[in-house]
Amino acid sequence: MSSANSDTAPASPGTFLIQKERTRFFGLTLDECIKTFFGGNAVVAVVVLGLITLFLFREGADFFGQNRESLRVYRQAGLEYVDIMRETERDHTALTRYLFDIRLQALKALTADGLSVAEANAKLAAFDDFSYAYGDAVLNVRGLVSDLTEAASAIKTKANVADDRRIERDQYLAAGMTAEAAAVTVEDVDFATEVKAITGTLPFYKDELTNFGTELERVVTELPVLPVPEVQPRLERFRQLTRQYVAGFPDNVERLENWDQFAPVPLSRSFTSFIFGTQWLTASFWQDWYGVVPLFVGSLMVSTIALFIAVPLGVGAAVYVNQIASPREQRFIKPFIEFISAIPSVVLGFFGIAMLGTALRAMSQWEAMSWVPGFPFAERLNALTAGCLLAVIAVPTIFTLAEDAINNVPRAFKEASFALGASRLQTILRIIVPASLSGIVSAVLLGLGRVIGETMVVLLCAGNRIAIPDFTEGLAAFMQPVHTMTGIIAQEMGEVVRGSIHYRALFVVGLLLFFIALTINFLAQKIVRKYRISVG
Amino acid sequence: MADTVSNPFAAKPSAGRGFESAFFWVFRIATYLILAAGAFIFADIVIKGVPTVAGAFRTIDHFPYVTNTFLFEAPETLYVFEHDGEKLEMGDREYRAFREEQTAAAAAAGQAAPAFNATTYVYSSGGIWPCIVGTVLLVVGSMTIALTLGVASAIYLNEYARDGKFVRFVRLAILNLAGVPSIVFGLFGFALFVLMGPKFGSVANPDMFSLRLWPFHLYLNFEGWGVSLLAGWFTLAFMVLPVIITASEEALKSVPKGFREGSLALGATKWQTIRKNVLPYALPGILTSSILGIARVAGETAPIMFTAAYVVRDKLPWEGLANATDFVFQGVMALPYHIYVVSSKIPQNDYTQRVQYGTAFVFLGIVAGIALTSILLRNKLRGRYKW
Repeated sequence: MSSANSDTAPASPGTFLIQKERTRFFGLTLDECIKTFFGGNAVVAVVVLGLITLFLFREGADFFGQNRESLRVYRQAGLEYVDIMRETERDHTALTRYLFDIRLQALKALTADGLSVAEANAKLAAFDDFSYAYGDAVLNVRGLVSDLTEAASAIKTKANVADDRRIERDQYLAAGMTAEAAAVTVEDVDFATEVKAITGTLPFYKDELTNFGTELERVVTELPVLPVPEVQPRLERFRQLTRQYVAGFPDNVERLENWDQFAPVPLSRSFTSFIFGTQWLTASFWQDWYGVVPLFVGSLMVSTIALFIAVPLGVGAAVYVNQIASPREQRFIKPFIEFISAIPSVVLGFFGIAMLGTALRAMSQWEAMSWVPGFPFAERLNALTAGCLLAVIAVPTIFTLAEDAINNVPRAFKEASFALGASRLQTILRIIVPASLSGIVSAVLLGLGRVIGETMVVLLCAGNRIAIPDFTEGLAAFMQPVHTMTGIIAQEMGEVVRGSIHYRALFVVGLLLFFIALTINFLAQKIVRKYRISVG
Repeated sequence: MADTVSNPFAAKPSAGRGFESAFFWVFRIATYLILAAGAFIFADIVIKGVPTVAGAFRTIDHFPYVTNTFLFEAPETLYVFEHDGEKLEMGDREYRAFREEQTAAAAAAGQAAPAFNATTYVYSSGGIWPCIVGTVLLVVGSMTIALTLGVASAIYLNEYARDGKFVRFVRLAILNLAGVPSIVFGLFGFALFVLMGPKFGSVANPDMFSLRLWPFHLYLNFEGWGVSLLAGWFTLAFMVLPVIITASEEALKSVPKGFREGSLALGATKWQTIRKNVLPYALPGILTSSILGIARVAGETAPIMFTAAYVVRDKLPWEGLANATDFVFQGVMALPYHIYVVSSKIPQNDYTQRVQYGTAFVFLGIVAGIALTSILLRNKLRGRYKW
C-alpha cells in the first residue's frame, strides 16, 4: 500500500475485487450443500437409535393394557379364587416331596450298609405305609380343586368366545354389513352369577380342609421309626412342618372369604406381574403368565459363567501381551485373538451342540471330577455349556479393550517404578494394572454387554427350559438348563400371532434388553471418563 | 571360556525372581489357553467338515468339467434304503428316478414292484448353494448401504463438524448403537421394515398409512416389505454402521493435517480438498477396516431371522421374478440361518451331522477368510503410508 492511497476515502470493507459466481441451491452454496449432505448422514445414527426405541415401544407398549385385561378376566372368571385353593394342594405336594427325600436318604444309608435294595425296601415298609397315608389325605381337597378348575376354565372360555364374537360383530359393522352383524349373537358372560357356583363351595371346602387337617394331624402323631437313626430328626422336622402347614389353613380360608371378584386390577399390577413374575407360561389352557424373572435369571447365569471364565483369561492375556510377551509373540497373538472374535456365534452354538455339550457331560461323569458341585449332570445343553461358549465370545472383547487400556498407561509410570527399584512383577501388579483399572473394568462391562445380548449361542446351547433353577442345590444350579431373554425372542417370535399379547410381551422383553444394553454402555463410558488418569 | 568375566549387573537368582517367573507363566498359560480353545474349535469344524465338501466333487460333461454337489446344489431330502442287499443313500430327485426305473424294470419282467422302505432325513442331501447366494446378496447389499452412510458420517464428523453439543450427541448415539444386541436389531427391523416399510404405489392402500407424493400420481404406502432382502439389508446395515463409522474416522484421522492445509492454501474448496487430498489416502484404511464389518454382517443370524431369512426356498433369487423390483422383496436362504435350522430344528443323527459340519465349515471358511484378509491387509497397510 502506498501512502498516496492513505488519504483517499476507504473502500467499503470486505469486498473482493474478484467475485466468483457461485451456484446456489435453496440459498446454499455447493459446499454448504455437501456439508449438509454429510451432516444428514451423521444424524442417521441418532435417528436409528430413536427409531429403535420408538418401534419397540410401538409394538410393545400395548402389552401392559392387554395383560391387565387378561389379569382382569383371571380374577373375574374365578381363576384366581381357584388358584388360592390350589396353594393348599401345592404345599402338600411339596411336603410329600420332602418325605420322598427322607426315604431316599434312608435307602442310600441302608444300601451303603451292605443291604440289597429289596431288603432295604422291606425295612422301610412301615415308613411307606405312613407316607401313603399322608399322601392319600389330600385326595378330597384335590378332587374339589380339580372340579373347580374345570368350572373356572369353562367360564373363561365363555368369556373368550364372547370377546371373539364381539370383535367379529365390530368388524362386520365397520365393513357396513349390518345384517351379518345382527346375526352374530354375543352371549355376555355374567361373571357374578357364574362365579357363584365356585364361591358357593366355600363351606364345603372349609369342611374338607378341617377333615384334611385332622387327618394329617392323626397321621403325624405317630411317626414311624426309621431303621436309620440319623434320619429320624428329619422326620421330626417333617412333623413340625406339617403342623405349621395345618396351622396355615385358616389363613387360606380367610383369603378366600375376603376375595373380591370385582376388585379392580391396577395397571401397576400388569407391570409388576411382568417385572417380578416368576412364570413365563404361554399357550396354557388355564392362564398365561408373562413374568420375565426366569429369563432374566437365565441370562444373568450364563453371563456370570462366561465372565467368570473370560475375565481372568482376557485380562491375563492382555497383561501378558502388553507387558510380558516378546514382540514376536505379540505380533502373533493379537491377530489370532482378533481372528477368534470373527468366529460367528451360530458356529459356536453349533460347536456346543455337536461337541462341547457331549464332552462336558462325559467329563462330568469322571470319577475324578465328582467333587465339583453339580457333577455329574445329565443334561447335555445347560447353562454351563452356553456359558463356556459365551466366554469365547467375551474374551476377544475384553482382551482388546483391556489391552488398549494398559497400553494407554503413560510410559513414565513404568519408568518411574523401575527407577525406584521395583521388579517387573511389582510394576505390573502395583502400577500398571491399578493405573489402567478403569479401562479394564469398562472392558469387562462391555464384555458383559456383549454376552447378555448374544442370541444364537444361548438359543442353541442353554437348554431352553423356562424355569428358575433350583438354587437350594448351590452351585449345581449352574448345570441346569435355562432359558434367556434373547433366546426367548428368537425362539418364539416366529410362531406368535401378530398383535397378540404374547407377541407384545416379546417386544417388551426386547425393550428391556435394549435398556439393559444402554445402561451397561453408559456405565462403561462413565467409569472410563471418571477414573481416567491424566498426566500433566 | 572359563575366564569370561560374568556380567556384574546380571540379576542373581533369588526366591523373588522365581516367584516372578512363576507368575509370568500363569499369564502365559492364560493367553495360550485362549489360543488353544480357538484353534480347537476351528480344527474340529475343519476336520469334520472337509470330508463333506471334498467328498462332493463330481465330474460333469461340460465346462468346467468338475463340480461340487455340496457347494453348488440346493438342499434335498436324503433317502436311505436297502436294495438288493445293498444300503443306498440318494437325494430326492435321484431317488425318485431310481424308484421309477426299478418299478418299470420289474413291470417289464412281470414281477411285483419292489418295495422301498426308505428312511428320510430332511436337508441331509444336496448342498447349500442357495444359502451361499443368499448370504452373498445380504452382505453386498447391506455393506453398500452401510458404507455410504458410514463413510459420509465419518467425513462429516472428522472434516466438517466442530466439537460441540450436537457432535457429542451424535458420537454418543454411535457408541450406544454399537452396544445394542443383535436380536434387538432383529425386532426393530421386523417392526419397522417388515411391517411398515414404505412401498411406491399408484393407488393409496386403504388399510395402511399412505402418503401422497405431491404432485405426482404416486403414493407411498407403508404396507411393509415382508420378509425380504431389502428389510435384511437395512437391518444389517444399521447394525454394522457404528463399526464402519469408527473405522472410517480412524482412517481419516491418520491423514496428516498438512495435506488439507496445503490444498486449502492453494485455493481449493473444502470439498475439493476432501475429494482430492484426503479420501484417496484414507480409502485403503477405510476399506480394510470395513472388511471386518463384512465378517460381522455375514456372521450374524439374529437380525435376519425375522427380516430376511427363509428356512427353505426352492427358487434361486433370480428365478421366477415377475418384474425386476420383486428381486428386493423376496426372502432368501442364508448360511447362518441354515446352520441354525439343521443343527436345532431337525432330529440329530449321523446323516444330518455330515451336512451340519459341512455347512459350518463352508461358513466359517468364508467368514474367517474375510477376517483374515482384513487383518493381513491392515498389517501390510500400516507399513505403507508413513508421514
